Amino acid sequence: MFNIDMESIDLEKTYDLIVLGGGPAAIGCAIYAARFAMDVLVVGKTFGGLIATTHIVENYPAITSTSGQGLMDMFKDHMDSLNIPYISDEIRSIEKIDDHFELNSFFQKFKAHTVCIATGSERRKLGIPGEEEFAGRGVSYCATCDGPFYNNKIVCVIGGSDSAAKEALFLAQNAKKVYIIYRGEEIRAEPINKERVYSNDKIEVIYNTNVVEIKGDNSVNSVIFDNGNKFEIEGVFIEIGSTPNSDLAKRIGVKTNEKGEIIINRKSETNIPGIYAAGDVADAPFKQAITGVAEGVIAAYSAFDYFKGMNIEY
Amino acid sequence: MSQDDKYREIIKREMAKLKKPVNLKVFTSQKVQPGGTKIRACMDCGEFMALLRVYEENSNGMLTIEELSIDDNPEFVKKFDITRVPTIIFIDNNGRELIRYLAAPKRGEIQPFIQAIFTFAGAPNYYEATIKQNLDRIPPSTIKVMMTETCPYCPQVIAISNSFAIASEGKIRTIIIDIMANPDIGQYYDAAGVPYTIINDQKTLVGMVGPNEILRALIGGNIHVQY
Repeated sequence: MFNIDMESIDLEKTYDLIVLGGGPAAIGCAIYAARFAMDVLVVGKTFGGLIATTHIVENYPAITSTSGQGLMDMFKDHMDSLNIPYISDEIRSIEKIDDHFELNSFFQKFKAHTVCIATGSERRKLGIPGEEEFAGRGVSYCATCDGPFYNNKIVCVIGGSDSAAKEALFLAQNAKKVYIIYRGEEIRAEPINKERVYSNDKIEVIYNTNVVEIKGDNSVNSVIFDNGNKFEIEGVFIEIGSTPNSDLAKRIGVKTNEKGEIIINRKSETNIPGIYAAGDVADAPFKQAITGVAEGVIAAYSAFDYFKGMNIEY
Repeated sequence: MSQDDKYREIIKREMAKLKKPVNLKVFTSQKVQPGGTKIRACMDCGEFMALLRVYEENSNGMLTIEELSIDDNPEFVKKFDITRVPTIIFIDNNGRELIRYLAAPKRGEIQPFIQAIFTFAGAPNYYEATIKQNLDRIPPSTIKVMMTETCPYCPQVIAISNSFAIASEGKIRTIIIDIMANPDIGQYYDAAGVPYTIINDQKTLVGMVGPNEILRALIGGNIHVQY
């Protein structure tokens, strides 16, 4: 999907809709737009988005169990069946010119009548000493990517969410021991995953504890807790939520809330006519692949409605 | 259909679209058995070559996989500094190495490998215009991309890096390294996370990076662009 088939991309054309992003919300939006017979193009930095790094997805209706990558492969097949082009790139500016938007990256310039921002989010950083220094050398944000480096090693997952629990369960398949280090009193995983964590002999939860420093030499060898204790560990997986990728939206005047999430209404409209948003970058309180897809689908319908109102022959 | 069957179908479907000839050199090692017959000596080479033959056999004769034994081709080994097998290299018409694979192009790595073959054969390259505009600011460079089979983002970084190399008129070379098959390289760079991208052995980009970050790291400054 990250293959760029230039034969299917017309850089001179004004697209009916350009979708920014590569996760479920973006692809859901593009699939519906294509079915509305709109000329649609998807431009994303990361095909698959954050969910591609999830080792197991069991809450996407009609799919009992798959991996995040497996789910995105199905999205990809669906996109391919509709000949929706995808470009691996990042848009850095959007400008309204007459009846269309002009979108610029460092590599190309695009035109579109409507835009859906579904740029997702990225892993939140702890912001503690050692985190940046040991990134890729013992500090990781993706168990699916980096788990194989820690076979028979002792690792920790920092965080108490459902994602943190799933990361720990994945790592426990091959690691010697997995500690979940959480600042709260009870992990917030879905009950089914919480039960799996508690019944896994390799996983131990350390509550009411913050990690304040990551230490090592060539790679990580320990973390320091807020009570001053040193804890020997070989891998640190950070899973403390995410921050929305809304910098571009802010630069062009799209309204965001105090968390930096794009404010949308029930039609996935932003404050700028013709610009829509969906998925993790938007302000829904409960963010899931399925809710992102729904917002993307609604964005496609709203864009279609707006586009029809422009009375442009297509 | 199993996952392996699905991947095989992708190779068949995509390689059938190749319209221009491409030659790839693959270095393996051989040993002579009693009686004089030669067999491959490297442990992974048999499976590796069988995979590459699937690409070749489905290309309507457009892709040629040229297997070279390091024992019988010392001049090539010296010229291209082949230090491990199996190794695939893409060499342009001027004899310059553009892309080196120390990794098997299977599973998720199929698509960037096919994209590299097609772009190498002359298919339009999305990044070409900007790379050429900035070429005088890019020093001769090597991009090393360390990957694993399970990494969902690695194929995307590899596809971008390969496209940059093909557009760069020989200034950029990429080396794709399966860190599990080549653990010594990972240890040398202390890499325990992928994708792990190293520019000229000086700058390290950890995790998913897009074309902007890679180009900025190559230039060491801002990207110039004129549409």
